[in-house]
Amino acid sequence: MNVLRLAVRTLRREWHLVELRTLAASLVLAVVALGVVSTLSTRIERGVLASAAELIGGDMGISAPSSLPAPLAEAARNDGLAVTRGATFPSVAFVDQRSQLVDVLASDASYPLRGTLEIRGIDGKDRVAHGPAQGEVYLDHRAMVGLGVQPGQTLQLGGRDLKVTAELMRLPDGGELFALAPRAMMSLDDANAAGLLATGSRARHRLLVSGAPTQVARWRSFVESQTLPQGAELITPEQTQERMRTAFDRASSFLRLTALLSALLAGVAIALAASRYARRKTAEVALLRALGTPRRRVAALLVTTLAALALPAAAIGVALSLALAQGAWYFASQLFAGVPTTLPLGPAFAAAAVGLAVLAGFALPPLVRLAEVPPVAVFRDSVTRRARRFDALYLVPLVVALALVWLQSDSARLAGILAVSLSGVALVAAGLSALLLWVARRVAPGAHPALRLGLAALARRRGLSLIQATALSLGLCALLLLAVVAPALLDGWRRELPADTPNWFALNLQDDQRHSFEQRLGTLGANKLNMLPLAVGKLTAINGRPIDQLTFTDERAREWADRQLRLSWSGDLPPSNKVVQGQWSGASPEEAEVSIDTSWRDMFGLKVGDHMHFVIGESDVEARVANVRQVDWSSFRVNFFLLLDPKHSADLPHTWLASFYLSRGHADDLARLSRDYGNLSLIDVDALLDRVREIVDRVGTAVRWVLGFSLLAGALVLTAALAASAQERRHEAALLRTLGARRGQLRAAAACEFALLGLVAGLTAALGAAGAGLWIGTAIFRIEGFVPPVWPLIGSAALAAFVVMLIGLLGTRRVLRTSPMELLRE
Amino acid sequence: MVDVSKSVSGPEGRLDILTGVNLAVAAGESFAIVGASGSGKTTLLGLLAGLDVPTSGSIRLDGGALEAMDEEERAAVRRRLVGFVFQSFHLLPALTAEENVMLPLELEGNDDARERARVALESVGLGGRRRHYPAQLSGGEQQRVALARAFVHRPRVLFADEPTGNLDQHTGEHVGDLLFELNKTHATTLILVTHDPKLAARCTRSAALHDGRLGVGA
Repeated sequence: MNVLRLAVRTLRREWHLVELRTLAASLVLAVVALGVVSTLSTRIERGVLASAAELIGGDMGISAPSSLPAPLAEAARNDGLAVTRGATFPSVAFVDQRSQLVDVLASDASYPLRGTLEIRGIDGKDRVAHGPAQGEVYLDHRAMVGLGVQPGQTLQLGGRDLKVTAELMRLPDGGELFALAPRAMMSLDDANAAGLLATGSRARHRLLVSGAPTQVARWRSFVESQTLPQGAELITPEQTQERMRTAFDRASSFLRLTALLSALLAGVAIALAASRYARRKTAEVALLRALGTPRRRVAALLVTTLAALALPAAAIGVALSLALAQGAWYFASQLFAGVPTTLPLGPAFAAAAVGLAVLAGFALPPLVRLAEVPPVAVFRDSVTRRARRFDALYLVPLVVALALVWLQSDSARLAGILAVSLSGVALVAAGLSALLLWVARRVAPGAHPALRLGLAALARRRGLSLIQATALSLGLCALLLLAVVAPALLDGWRRELPADTPNWFALNLQDDQRHSFEQRLGTLGANKLNMLPLAVGKLTAINGRPIDQLTFTDERAREWADRQLRLSWSGDLPPSNKVVQGQWSGASPEEAEVSIDTSWRDMFGLKVGDHMHFVIGESDVEARVANVRQVDWSSFRVNFFLLLDPKHSADLPHTWLASFYLSRGHADDLARLSRDYGNLSLIDVDALLDRVREIVDRVGTAVRWVLGFSLLAGALVLTAALAASAQERRHEAALLRTLGARRGQLRAAAACEFALLGLVAGLTAALGAAGAGLWIGTAIFRIEGFVPPVWPLIGSAALAAFVVMLIGLLGTRRVLRTSPMELLRE
Repeated sequence: MVDVSKSVSGPEGRLDILTGVNLAVAAGESFAIVGASGSGKTTLLGLLAGLDVPTSGSIRLDGGALEAMDEEERAAVRRRLVGFVFQSFHLLPALTAEENVMLPLELEGNDDARERARVALESVGLGGRRRHYPAQLSGGEQQRVALARAFVHRPRVLFADEPTGNLDQHTGEHVGDLLFELNKTHATTLILVTHDPKLAARCTRSAALHDGRLGVGA
């Protein structure tokens, strides 16, 4: 007997069986759900990194307040990396009598190495360009309005006459919020010749490189091994766009969560279908054994049959997921334009491997046990000796499920929460069902005939009822998490970015300008104006010990210690801040106090009661650490690592930082504002906000899309659950019809049975989804004050119970039509 | 039963199972239908019990024309008038012996189902096995539970399909004795399908089916 040929023949003969079709469909679905989502996530991740590289104009770089040592550029060039040099500095541009403070980017002709510099030339046409030639300057719109200049005219910058040859349309801007004033771009040679970069200037020099990732990494190691000028900092894509990163991480978690739940649902359907198939095959296996087929050969036949079913199904899953991922790329490519569009094949094949593992984990245990059917079972069905040594096999699905959660969630925490929640749901569902069955046996005699028959039906299939209720609960819980909790989480996230989130920041505002600035904003219709004092200083000592004598395990601490720090003060705890240790100081504590962010506590090993010494301007400030705050850095509000108390800080030298919301279409007004307040730097964060909002919306679309898979998986679970008991139902219905049961009686009994099943599953699922949702919302997505939508969950659970009843009734239509003659024919 | 025929369409065209069968069984009579496998015995029993309808002809049970009734009406007739005993017992495995016997009474909505089931089980000698599940009973005991279930609602007609076919000779004889004894006690009309000539001989009348046609019996 050729096992493979027999397996293929068996499969062809049995293809009409609903169990086999369910097995195949579940596997295809698991592979597609996992494949599409991980392909898409991989591409989006690549897109995010690529767009972060675009934002800094290269793959990596270094910046310093003094000129950078030549060996850094030489090492990069020698290793085959492209290099561009540049510098940024503030300067005042003049046109006739008008002047404007501008942030100048001086660059060589190879800038940018990544991303695009787009300009509008004198001819009014847009084109992609590189750094300007000597004698030329590009200005952005605000600078042009501020200076009242048009392309083609000349301005003075650093004492040199430069021709405005283009308007800056798009510039890889480094993503540094605090450096975005009206911008000008000039040649590095001109800047050098004009002496703008001489020692003592406020220029920040930078060197950017790009090339193959291994060379870039090598260069980074080289840079880190060098003695760098004081204040030098690495520029990496990961550092930039923290908020984009947060948005992407959340997006990725959402998608992985949905795909994971779909795959688990498919696993439940596989488990149900496989155990049903195993039961159906019992007689056949008994016959094969009776005819002398060795146990090992029977097992080989069963496993080969499963493989013959699984491999084509997995291949179909891979093909479908690649096709769908290609289609879904349409959405993602709109979000991250200009990134490579090659379709990564790895994730789809990895999904197939995971899908096959799910199938093996959930389907093999009942099939392998089947090989243990004794030959004597051919004479009598009831001989079903339990092979206890195979009991451990039922741990396999559990291990596979846990491994799946672990691998797919990419987060031990999410994995843990899901594993605990779903296990809890399974246990509660099994417990509730067992209780229901126990009650059923006691109340059945006195109950309404339909309910009595329904309860009796549940009790008759005790084991199967428990499995059905548990599987349905798990399925419904996953669906409720996706259909009700995920959108609520997305809403919570969206609420963090309301339409009137401040979209402009103004830096350098002086005390005497506050009032008039506020009035000007009022006339423009700006709102949500918030002003915070901003002081610049240095940390010089902790607990009386000079900072340069202290050692820190965290490298970042040393970097911060060398840096100019931005500090503020406030009597009230700012929004999106939470005190996690100590007490909020209030407006006027007795001694000077400072509130620190958790990252500072961790970096410097600080604790409440420590003393920090700062030099701010020419003042010394000794402040006691009064509390530690947890700051939500993704909130788009102005936040500070260090907050002093107002009583002891108000006299420190400071400027003001204003944030406000101004609707779009005010570019010219803001340019005028910027001109009138020459010292002011206005920063537009609309573009960044737009991208984050866009990500939230796209994730919403993607989640709905993946939800489609989950609904399909849920339907498969229900089909598998119904198919699992279909034969028993038909037999029972035939017997009851023979004994004279009315069709209505059977229908009412089935309705009661499924409604009870749906009720147990729905209630457990709603409880589980609410608990898991609350946990995930606060622990993973860190959405403050997130409350799972309780009533929609209860409503959905009731609806789910009703749908289970309805589908159950639809599924038993054939059963109700069963002719009683079937009984005589058996 | 007047001029009853039954045919079905299969993959190889129309198949005539019964052709022009005429039969009358009086109340209280016991009647055996014998015949080789595939002769149409089970089909005939199903038609007589109202489990199926003939392709042509008429069947009257207790005066009612079964072929004119829909399935629901026939179910009502079965509930009221008919009891069944099957070759493979057909007890529900998840119900105890007593609960299995209660089933026909529960379908009628009887309030004293449990008490009557207990009495019925005692009448077949299984009063002490009420709480046993079918898997805990021998084949003979299972068929006795099936007999108790068949008589518990006092049917006017009992249909038995090879009631001893799955039992050894000794147990089969014992179950046969019980069947006829109960039949006598309850004055039930018995229609029996069997291969067993001894069992057929215990009936007041019998007829043989051959290729779907009913011959005259003893």
